[in-house]
Amino acid sequence: MSIFEYNGSAVVAMVGKNCFAIASDRRLGVQLQTIATDFQRIFKIHDRLFIGLSGLATDAQTLYQRLVFRHKLYQLREERDMKPETFASLVSALLYEKRFGPYFCQPVIAGLGDEDKPFICTMDSIGAKELAKDFVVAGTASESLYGACEAMFKPDMEPEELFETVSQALLASVDRDCLSGWGGHVYVITPTEVKETILKGRMD
Amino acid sequence: MEIQRADKCVMASSGFQADVKALQKQLAARHLIYQHQHNKQVSCPAMAQLLSNTLYYKRFFPYYSFNVLGGLDNEGKGCVYTYDAVGSYERVGYSSQGSGSTLIMPFLDNQLKSPSPLLLPAQDAVTPLSESEAVDLVKTCFASATERDIYTGDKLEIVVLNKEGLHREYMELRKD
Amino acid sequence: MDPFAAIEPRNSDRTASQSRFINMKLDTSGLESTAPHFGTSCELFSGFSAAPSFDLPVTTDFDGFQKESIQMVKPAKGTTTLAFIFKEGVMVAADSRASMGGYISSQSVKKIIEINPYMLGTMAGGAADCQFWHRNLGIKCRLHELANKRRISVTGASKLLANILYSYRGMGLSVGTMIAGWDETGPGLYYVDSEGGRLKGTRFSVGSGSPYAYGVLDSGYLISYNTCIRYKYDLSVEEAAELARRSIYHATFRDGASGGVASVYHVGPNGWKKLSGDDVGELYYQYNPVSTSTVEQEMAESSST
Repeated sequence: MSIFEYNGSAVVAMVGKNCFAIASDRRLGVQLQTIATDFQRIFKIHDRLFIGLSGLATDAQTLYQRLVFRHKLYQLREERDMKPETFASLVSALLYEKRFGPYFCQPVIAGLGDEDKPFICTMDSIGAKELAKDFVVAGTASESLYGACEAMFKPDMEPEELFETVSQALLASVDRDCLSGWGGHVYVITPTEVKETILKGRMD
Repeated sequence: MEIQRADKCVMASSGFQADVKALQKQLAARHLIYQHQHNKQVSCPAMAQLLSNTLYYKRFFPYYSFNVLGGLDNEGKGCVYTYDAVGSYERVGYSSQGSGSTLIMPFLDNQLKSPSPLLLPAQDAVTPLSESEAVDLVKTCFASATERDIYTGDKLEIVVLNKEGLHREYMELRKD
Repeated sequence: MDPFAAIEPRNSDRTASQSRFINMKLDTSGLESTAPHFGTSCELFSGFSAAPSFDLPVTTDFDGFQKESIQMVKPAKGTTTLAFIFKEGVMVAADSRASMGGYISSQSVKKIIEINPYMLGTMAGGAADCQFWHRNLGIKCRLHELANKRRISVTGASKLLANILYSYRGMGLSVGTMIAGWDETGPGLYYVDSEGGRLKGTRFSVGSGSPYAYGVLDSGYLISYNTCIRYKYDLSVEEAAELARRSIYHATFRDGASGGVASVYHVGPNGWKKLSGDDVGELYYQYNPVSTSTVEQEMAESSST
């Protein structure tokens, strides 16, 4: 089994009309054994910027701490929050630093940029950026997520509909994956508010 | 992807073309002999078990083929059987096989939500869809699977089987 | 000498080889329909109605080939099944998930196979291997019944299966099964696997979720402060069914490869009966009525560290 599948994960981000949603599952396992069902994979960088880290849990946490550290330094020096594009480059650079001994993570970055333009992007474990206009997925349930999102996604959804779509896609996908699931965690971000929801799901 | 039919029984296979052809030829021959011997068509559940046994006889040198069998059972109800390469089979409400199945199945789960046949008290597992809704759903599934699965595409063949008989529909898919 | 050279003449005369591989010819006479209706010899059909035997690949590295071809077709694995004997008979329970690697290929597999009205088999390991050989066992049991005018004993049936599996030992079959039933001597329970093992016992659990199921089965669950239901011989049917269901449920919670529907069967003097089939997705919320906010609190704590 690949080290990326050691803990199990599912992360998805989707774009709506002047908003975006980012969601993940809540399982932390050691291969097939479920250890925790309240694990956090999505982290807030600032009010309009989130990152979801799929893959090996220990690397996800380490990487998150290093990212927060770098972002705080940026805030002190520049006295403003990072733009999503800039942050994506930062993540990419941090990952490539470890080109020959990488963090076993596939990040998903989602944020609101200038003029509330949503930005989503994913990259591989050594920092090759992949920008998308509709949705990005990562984790052990990625194939299922691709299928579900491809069929359910519509352009320019309002926040309510976006929440429904992303939740349905996530739950449908993790129910076809042994290594992720046990509930879901969804953030819907609009220019004015951050809505956080915990989804009940199948606990098997 | 290849579709073959008996009277009330249609099989779709994906995988290695040569194995698929050999398997379908074998089944067609068995079906023909059955017709000569019994002077009737093989019922779908019987064909389902025949396919299972045929696959298992190659247990140590399997047919590289992934099959679904659809048809009408003895009561005239629709039935779907799904297989793995070495012949384990199961009657289900809907199924998908092949390289794109991982993309299609979660969406079908979401749209159809058919209750498990193992539940007690039992719940009716027939999906309440009209024919046109069902065909549309199949088209949506393939259109989205084609976007992300490189092995799926070009053209789609849909076979609709009901008590009046059988007819086919075609749809163009992405060519790349 | 290459042992597989002996396979060559397998379609010719039986005396041609004393090798144990002669056993590889499966006795499928029971599977075939009756002989062709017209004529005694009919060359046209001989190629089809003769019992087909297992094709083997022409290769010197049989083990390597097996390994690769098994990888290629990825058999369904990952299961929780359990069975135990108690005062009123045998209780048999299983989940219903089939997985290939991380992908769940089905949530509705029938892992408890009804061999005849007095005997059940459970399924763990390769789905096709279990399904096929249980079907085969069902035929053999029926033939035994017709020949001897009485039902086969659980001991006998399990030994039939164990002998078949032993004859294929080392060829890559993957079966872990329990044969549970009621015969003239009362309840019977055997564990049989593809390595040739056959054990008699009062309680077994098989599959990737079995450690979790054993945990609940042996130490029980609390109904109230001082009452705990655990495995013991004089359970009532209701208690035993609930214990079996709980064991499967807890296994599906912890084990990624188990899930779907928890089916519970009981075999008594009058044959088997399905007692329940519960979606474990709903069982979780039955066993854990939703309490609010504690989870969110924990989340806030963990994110602040």
